[in-house]
Amino acid sequence: MKVKKIPQQLIPLAFLLALAVAALVIMRLVLLPETFGEYGHYRALAVDDVAALDIAYAGHQACAECHDDVYELKQQSNHRGVACEACHGPAAAHIEAPDEYAPEVPRNREHCTLCHGYNPTRPTGFPQIIPELHNPRQPCMTCHQPHHPELPHAPEECAACHRQIVNEKAVSHHASLSCTTCHDLPAEHLVDPVMVRALKPSTREKCGQCHASNADSAPEIPRIELATHGEGYLCWECHYPHQPEANR
Amino acid sequence: MELILGNIVNDLSKITGYIYPNEFELHWGILVVVYPYLTGLVAGAFILASLERVFDVSSLQPVYRLSLLTALAFLLVAPLPLLAHLGHPLRSYQMFLTPHTKSAMAMFGFVYAWYLMVVLLLEIWFDYRKSIVVWSNEKRGVTRYFYKFLTLGTTDISDRALRFDDKIGRIITIIGIPSAFLLHGYVGFIFGSVKANPWWSSVLMPIVFLFSAIVSGIALVIMIYMVTTMFRWKRLSMPCLNKLAELLFYAIIVDFSLELLDFVQRLYEAEESITILSQMISSRLFISLIISQIILGTLVPTISLAWARFGRVPDEMRRLMYFIAALLIQVGIFSTRWNVVIGGQLFSKSLRGLTVYKLELFGLEGALTAGLLLILPFLVLFVLTRVLPPWSAVESHVSESPV
Repeated sequence: MKVKKIPQQLIPLAFLLALAVAALVIMRLVLLPETFGEYGHYRALAVDDVAALDIAYAGHQACAECHDDVYELKQQSNHRGVACEACHGPAAAHIEAPDEYAPEVPRNREHCTLCHGYNPTRPTGFPQIIPELHNPRQPCMTCHQPHHPELPHAPEECAACHRQIVNEKAVSHHASLSCTTCHDLPAEHLVDPVMVRALKPSTREKCGQCHASNADSAPEIPRIELATHGEGYLCWECHYPHQPEANR
Repeated sequence: MELILGNIVNDLSKITGYIYPNEFELHWGILVVVYPYLTGLVAGAFILASLERVFDVSSLQPVYRLSLLTALAFLLVAPLPLLAHLGHPLRSYQMFLTPHTKSAMAMFGFVYAWYLMVVLLLEIWFDYRKSIVVWSNEKRGVTRYFYKFLTLGTTDISDRALRFDDKIGRIITIIGIPSAFLLHGYVGFIFGSVKANPWWSSVLMPIVFLFSAIVSGIALVIMIYMVTTMFRWKRLSMPCLNKLAELLFYAIIVDFSLELLDFVQRLYEAEESITILSQMISSRLFISLIISQIILGTLVPTISLAWARFGRVPDEMRRLMYFIAALLIQVGIFSTRWNVVIGGQLFSKSLRGLTVYKLELFGLEGALTAGLLLILPFLVLFVLTRVLPPWSAVESHVSESPV
């Protein structure tokens, strides 16, 4: 049988290919870390390497061991969910050598406004200020104790905590209504807003005061037949009163 | 800490709406924009070369070798932005030692290696083999030994051997076309498969990437062909240039239609992300998407190409219009990559806010590095054309059109 001659140019290519494959095999044998693949697609010893890294954060329990008075105070306040090191920075070094390393004490306004600056998408009820308007340039700690951030006095306006709703309402047809036109406001809400809530209208008649067909209100206000319109539902279950759809 | 906080507050003021804390910093910066741009040029230039080889579009012969070298020059630089972005470039070989078959990014090393070693280098070697053997006999001094090394010891340039070269070159090109599709389709696939990102997640993404790659590759070869011919004081082949412009025109029409289809589909689907995406397009991406990508990078060049190619325009003017169109297309395709990579990170996953991209000038992830990486392929190409002149074999075919 006649064997077909292999073209000359394929020989060095085949040699190069073999060389590449051999190099790969040898590199794998020599360079692959021993513990690779033991647990997964990584070097198992990497776990030990990571475990050996310096620890920066101490955790709030470590803080509480010495500063139990501050910790207890904070636990009773609305800052109970904020870890000590969220404001004071990583403090593992302080635990190791309390006299040599003192954690930071942030005193500038920018620090507090990271959470308490006005942002329309923060949850309603979350205390927010506009830093340029709220006691400009005064350090927050002048009036507020960060470990127990009780308000120095009751908020003067609903916008202190519900600014987004107030802003929305301000450009809606309900702009001229005050919040208490619709919401019953227990006095305690201003002191303890979490435990004592402002009340949403619980009857259809509340909205009916202006929107019922027989209501004694301005003629341009949209009217409905209170007895038949959306029977069985409260008005605000379908209509968003802070920006009623008539405005859109 | 005060300084850091001051900077953060300054940047925070540019943010609109609500974003999650980890969305403040964009993790994929301009280097990740440069990377798909470069690989797109590779794939485009190679597909152009394959038209001449496989489909026998003979008028493209003057740019066949140039396209191959262009593809090689850009392919050699293509991984550099990724290496610079990831850091630790000395670890990159490990990707080959421990293949991770479930990671698309890890498998790219193999796609890249296949395309470089098996497709481009082999095709170029077989195509130049005869010339290399001739040069290894003609040249003197060190260059002689250099070419002797490039022959890899094969000196057979008999008709039979050359026929074999041609045949195998054709086979490699046929393998190369799907490989080029794979190379750049893969880049689109990486973005398209990010389910959590509504700006990226689309099955059309690899296809749109591929066609924009073809567009940018052809436009690049037009520019390089015109500039190199001018500096060599040679005549441009008008049939070749016309053919290139024609192909570019068809490619850009298909590319734009696909992008439009993708866009219309998103609008019609109107998923919950559409509001924030519309906001992003009309604010953050207005210049790079509407102005740069669509108007300057697509509509103007399309009109310019159609007018120059099919209208009654003198050759001088026609060449100028081709060149300007090709240049604008580069700007447009770079903007496309920018809009995909940066755009996909500008809106919050909460769909309630937009962040800003803070491009730095210096530093590893800065604009200067990106500029350098965009210039580097041209330097590589210059060296390649010195070592393997792409024009010697075709000069005789060129028509008599003066520059």
